[in-house]
Amino acid sequence: MATPHSAGAGSRAAAAQALFMVLEQGRSLSQALPLVTSSLSGRDRALCQTLCYGVLRFLPQLNFVISHLLAKPLKKDLAILHSLLLVGTYQLIFLRTSDHAAISATVEAASLLQRSRQKGLINGVLRNVQRQREQLEAALASHDELQHNHPRWLADLIRSHYGPEQAEAIFSANNQQAPMWLRINEQRTDRAQYLARLAEADIGYHDESPLSSAIQLVQPVDVQRLPGFAEGMVSVQDLAAQHAAWLLNAAAGERVLDCCAAPGGKTAHILERQPDCTLIAVDSDATRLQRVHDNLQRLQLNAEVINGDAMQPDNWWNGEHFDRILLDAPCSATGVIRRHPDIKWLRRSQDIAVLAQLQADILDTMWSLLKPGGTLLYATCSILPAENSEQIAAFMKRHDDARQVAVAPTGSPDWQWLPGEHAGDGFYYAKLEKRT
Amino acid sequence: MTKLTILEYPDERLRTMAQPIEAVDDALRATIDDMFETMYDASGVGLAATQVDVHRRLFIADCSEDQSEPLVFINPEITEKSGEFANEEGCLSFPGVYAKVERASNIKVQAQDRHGETFTLNAEGLLAICIQHEIDHLNGKLFVDYLSPLKRDRIRKKLEKEARQRAE
Repeated sequence: MATPHSAGAGSRAAAAQALFMVLEQGRSLSQALPLVTSSLSGRDRALCQTLCYGVLRFLPQLNFVISHLLAKPLKKDLAILHSLLLVGTYQLIFLRTSDHAAISATVEAASLLQRSRQKGLINGVLRNVQRQREQLEAALASHDELQHNHPRWLADLIRSHYGPEQAEAIFSANNQQAPMWLRINEQRTDRAQYLARLAEADIGYHDESPLSSAIQLVQPVDVQRLPGFAEGMVSVQDLAAQHAAWLLNAAAGERVLDCCAAPGGKTAHILERQPDCTLIAVDSDATRLQRVHDNLQRLQLNAEVINGDAMQPDNWWNGEHFDRILLDAPCSATGVIRRHPDIKWLRRSQDIAVLAQLQADILDTMWSLLKPGGTLLYATCSILPAENSEQIAAFMKRHDDARQVAVAPTGSPDWQWLPGEHAGDGFYYAKLEKRT
Repeated sequence: MTKLTILEYPDERLRTMAQPIEAVDDALRATIDDMFETMYDASGVGLAATQVDVHRRLFIADCSEDQSEPLVFINPEITEKSGEFANEEGCLSFPGVYAKVERASNIKVQAQDRHGETFTLNAEGLLAICIQHEIDHLNGKLFVDYLSPLKRDRIRKKLEKEARQRAE
């Protein structure tokens, strides 16, 4: 059989569509991808995902190359072709596919996007990328501001807080592919036993880990290949996020609230650590709550799952105070850019103040649900102080019945993980105790 | 390795029913190696033995973009089929001809590999199309047989004309 013209075009067209939805319509990549990949084969779906992640990681550099090669920017109604050019350019500069396959599949994708008339344009630009690759790469390397591949406002914010050197390390970690971390269900198996199962299944892992529950894989694998996944022996969860249940440290018989619980990874982990607590999981998003149910069912754990707004406890709370509350607050997600590179382009600088206000409001509301002597663990997947250390400092000023408790194992009152630290995501924890 | 000659439509030998392979030996493996060289040289994703005038039940495929996934199918049988989709197909025995053909979108195939070991494979997408296309070859069937007689006739005339021009 001869190679069809359309071979590989489907994955390129789908990637261009998903990128268009993110960059032009403000949708998240995790919303966009399922919409465009449903008709693709597993292999094409994986390639489409690789292309989208890669383009979003290196968007400024790719835009630089394209604007350098286009005489004038594409008209607004051809924005989908700009996305397609990003896909093509990314393959030629960053991926090791053959140039021929990359160019022909990307050009052919223009037909699938109903833009056959612009195939010549796509072909022309991509041939120029191929011809001028060395000069283009040199030009990219000489532009300092193009190296970090972050929006200016975010780069400035990170630099001003962390200083230039650490900022560089954060930028670099954000643009790398995140490793896959597993969380073993220590109710059902133990570390040594599960590592043996992984070895049996020929899945590579790293030996060291700061937590007994956490295992870092050498290569990401499909969850269906994980031994005991369907039976609830293991889940996928980043190392930093796995600290939530350890730090919350629920005891038997306690009433525990998991606020903003979806998709339920931390909910399940709290119960795996302490099956004999009464756990109530609340989230306002009914669709995402289904995933909490799914997770609990697979892991054979029980929690009371409530669809409710954290800001309106009167609608769902029975008036009984909690011993412990985990507040995994809505945040900028700037700590998980390596897993969601679209965040760099979806967030706006003005979002941060809005989020910080929302977090302060939820914190105050949750505080009122906590028993005297109870503990609230505040968590975000942000690396911005406005949402983290400054947020907690302001909280402490508002509440004189609050005391900050050292967060193990650092012993400091709060804990800012940076992306890539111990190969984990960027995360923030602060532990607050209510005076009796 | 030797590059082999690919039979072109309407060569009647393409209509031959291929015979089952009883022994997977070095001679067969040499044919397989030649077929890979022939297929890669022609930018193909699949090649049936029938197309190189070897009438035994064997085909090869590689649907990757960088020639990294060579597959060998000896005595192949499709054991399960599901779904339908229509896709543009081309064939190394029909240079420059492409046409839409409807196929099962997911298949399960059982065959022997180049060492004679039996394996089963679930295929979807391009590989599923390719496997169905190549197994047709082993049964003397061609992708244009799925088209209307009118379209098939037009393709035959086009290829005959091109063959004459090349001969001149």
